Amino acid sequence: MKNNFIDDQELDRQLREAAPYIDDAGFTARVMQSLPAQSARAMERLRGTVLIVAALLASVLAYFLSGGGRFVYELVARLSALPPVWLFGLAGVAGIIVGALGLAAAVFTAREPAMITR
Amino acid sequence: MELTDADLVARVLVDDDQHAFGELVRRHQSSVRGLLRQLTRNDFAMADDLSQEAFVRAYKNIRSFRGEAKFSTWLYRIAYNCFREDARKKKELVGIDESQWQREIDPQSVEPGLKHDLMHALNLLPLHERTAVVLCCQNGLSHDEAARVLDIPLGTVKTNVLRGREKLKRTLAAWGPN
Repeated sequence: MKNNFIDDQELDRQLREAAPYIDDAGFTARVMQSLPAQSARAMERLRGTVLIVAALLASVLAYFLSGGGRFVYELVARLSALPPVWLFGLAGVAGIIVGALGLAAAVFTAREPAMITR
Repeated sequence: MELTDADLVARVLVDDDQHAFGELVRRHQSSVRGLLRQLTRNDFAMADDLSQEAFVRAYKNIRSFRGEAKFSTWLYRIAYNCFREDARKKKELVGIDESQWQREIDPQSVEPGLKHDLMHALNLLPLHERTAVVLCCQNGLSHDEAARVLDIPLGTVKTNVLRGREKLKRTLAAWGPN
C-alpha cells in the first residue's frame, strides 16, 4: 500500500526534526520576573505556622475554660452507662467515618498532578 | 558536573533558590513552548503566555512535585492543564472533524516541502490525537507518561497515537515512492 512507505520510527524522526529547538529569547527572564517574591513565599509558610500555633492555643484555652476537661469524664461516664449494643454501634459508626476520611485523604494525595492547576 | 532536574528541584524546595528554578525554566522552555505551540495551532503569542503561566504555577506548586514522574512530565501536565483551562474559557476545545480534515489535506492546496506538509497535517489532527502524537512521537514520552499528562486511560492514548500516526502517514504518502 502506498501509505506504508514510512514506518513509525521514521515518522517520529520526521516529527522531531520538524520541531526545532526554540530559542529562549528572553522567555526565562520574563518567567523569573513574574514569579512571586521570595518574601511572599516566606509569608505563606509563616501563615501555616501561625494557624497551627493559634489552633493549639485555642485548644489549651478551651480545656481550661471547660473546667479542666471535666466534660470529657462526664461523657465517658455517660457512654459507659449505655447498653453494649449502642456502644458497638457508636464504635462502628466512628470507625466508618474515620475510614472514609482516611480514604478521601489517600485519594486526594494520589491525585497530585491533577490538583496542581485546579 | 551538571546538576540534574532533581537536584535543582531540591534547591528550590530547601533554599527557595530562584536561580535553580531559572535553570529548570531554561532547560525545559523549548519543549513546553513547543508543545503549547502545537496545541494552539502555532499561535506563538498565546503559547508563550500559557508557557509562562505554566512555569509560574510550577514554581508555586513545586512542593506537590514528589519525584514519582520526571520533572518534564510534571511540567507537561501543568502546561496541558493551562491550555485546557484557557481553551475551555474560549470554548475552543473542539477538534477539526474528519470531513474537514479530508478536505484540507488535498495535496494541491498545500505548499511543497515534507516538513511543511507534516506540520500542516499535524495541525489538522483533532486535538486529542494531535496532543497524543506531539507528546509521544515528538517529545518521546511513553504512552504511560502521556496518559498521566493527559489524565486519560492508557488505552485511549494508544488509540489516539495510532490514529494520529495513520493520518500523518496518509499525508506523507504523497512523498513516498510511486
